[in-house]
Amino acid sequence: MSRTHPPVPLLRPFVSVLHPHRTRRVAVGVIRAAALVVLAVATGACNNKRVARIEPTSVTDLSGRWNDADSRLVANELIEQSLTAPWAKRFADTHGGEAPTVIVGGFGNRTMEHIPVNTFVKDLERAFVNSGAVRVVASADERQVVRAEREDQQAHATTDSRARLAREQGAAYMLQGEVQAIEDAEGREKVVYYQVDAALVDLESNAKVWVGQHKIKKYIDRRRIGW
Amino acid sequence: MTLTQRTAGRRTVTAGVALAVGLTAALAACNGPRRIHENPVMINGDRVGSSDATVQAVAASTAAERETAAARRDSLRAAAVANCAPAVCAALARGELALSMTTAQVMAATGSTERAWSVRDAGGTTVMVARTLEAPPRDATGEVAMVQLGGGRVTSYSYREPQGLRVVSAPSDTTLEGRSRAIAAALIREGDAFDAAGDRVKALDRYDRALVLQPNDPMLQYRVATLLDLQLRPVEAQLRYRRFLQELELQRIEAVGDANAKLAEAIARAQQRILILERQAR
Repeated sequence: MSRTHPPVPLLRPFVSVLHPHRTRRVAVGVIRAAALVVLAVATGACNNKRVARIEPTSVTDLSGRWNDADSRLVANELIEQSLTAPWAKRFADTHGGEAPTVIVGGFGNRTMEHIPVNTFVKDLERAFVNSGAVRVVASADERQVVRAEREDQQAHATTDSRARLAREQGAAYMLQGEVQAIEDAEGREKVVYYQVDAALVDLESNAKVWVGQHKIKKYIDRRRIGW
Repeated sequence: MTLTQRTAGRRTVTAGVALAVGLTAALAACNGPRRIHENPVMINGDRVGSSDATVQAVAASTAAERETAAARRDSLRAAAVANCAPAVCAALARGELALSMTTAQVMAATGSTERAWSVRDAGGTTVMVARTLEAPPRDATGEVAMVQLGGGRVTSYSYREPQGLRVVSAPSDTTLEGRSRAIAAALIREGDAFDAAGDRVKALDRYDRALVLQPNDPMLQYRVATLLDLQLRPVEAQLRYRRFLQELELQRIEAVGDANAKLAEAIARAQQRILILERQAR
């Protein structure tokens, strides 16, 4: 009388109708196949990462959300608009050629997305400084660190090397702005509209001497099947 | 036709329909019922340009303009200090406007060039006003609104201040006291306007600020006392009324003192003249 092994409990529903001799073979086969699948998945998981340096100026839209290309587009447009506008020249003309001084104020993100506004604000700041047409002073956050260092120098640095107090350059204008977004979606289609506004406000009179703007509209189509 | 053949035919038709539906669904899923038919302006793989060219172009033009402006500013400064009177030279060194300055000296004092000003001549009088109100020229004191010249020399000039224009047309206006007096007068005018409009809180605020500049003005003390009285603040009102009377008393004493001093001087002079005249008569 041949010995019959009870079927593996997990496979019981599938093998209950089979002959007891075949049950063991099927169970072993299934376990082998599962092991092979797990092995293949594990091997694939180990090798699925690909990293490559790519050109930072390239457009790489993956999700349709705000990305580096949008930031650069905004920066380029604001730089172009602000440096070609007559406000800086007008100031220089009335101040014997002196460049106007700007401080970066608040730049708000009024969208539901996380938008790192500092990427294009810093680009704008860099363009201001490098053009020589505009002087930029440290913002409210940045100057706290500088002031602390200066205070520290008063106690610890030599007399001839310490930075003097009360020699800060006052800004004539403050850069302010905001990013806003409007979304419209239907089914698998979505349109996102971003509007970036920036303005330079006279610190004495509150007059806006320059207003810049850039608009981006994105159409996102999520296909079910694609190649 | 046998039953088997009919069944096979039905199967073929069903399979064909299913295939057609599947194909249509696949095509629909691929192309989608797009409602927006706009050509993309930028797609993956495109490049976002750089703004470096703009920055470099602006840097070059700014440097050239700054050089020109600096050269003009330096030549104006040299002309300004060439033959300046001591008071004007001192004002130039402080970066302040002063009466009897020339046009070049006005520009040197404000650190500006001709580009900052709109200059109009009319019958021997020249008026200089800011070319643009966006960035008007300013000296060490404040924002200059207008400069008037007669015979090529500054006869008056005005500053744009929070209380309005402050005109400087006499040497006494240029002193700290003169400036305080002008600002206090503007604040009192503002206070009077608020008082007339029924806003006593703001009127009191303006009078208080004027008192900081003119602490010994009895009539100002009286205005403050009256307003405090009307606002049912008796203790403060009483103090201000007392201060008003005290200031008046001090003024009376000062006036009597001045009058007595003048009288004494007149008496001494009269006696001196009598003696001289008597000697001449002999």
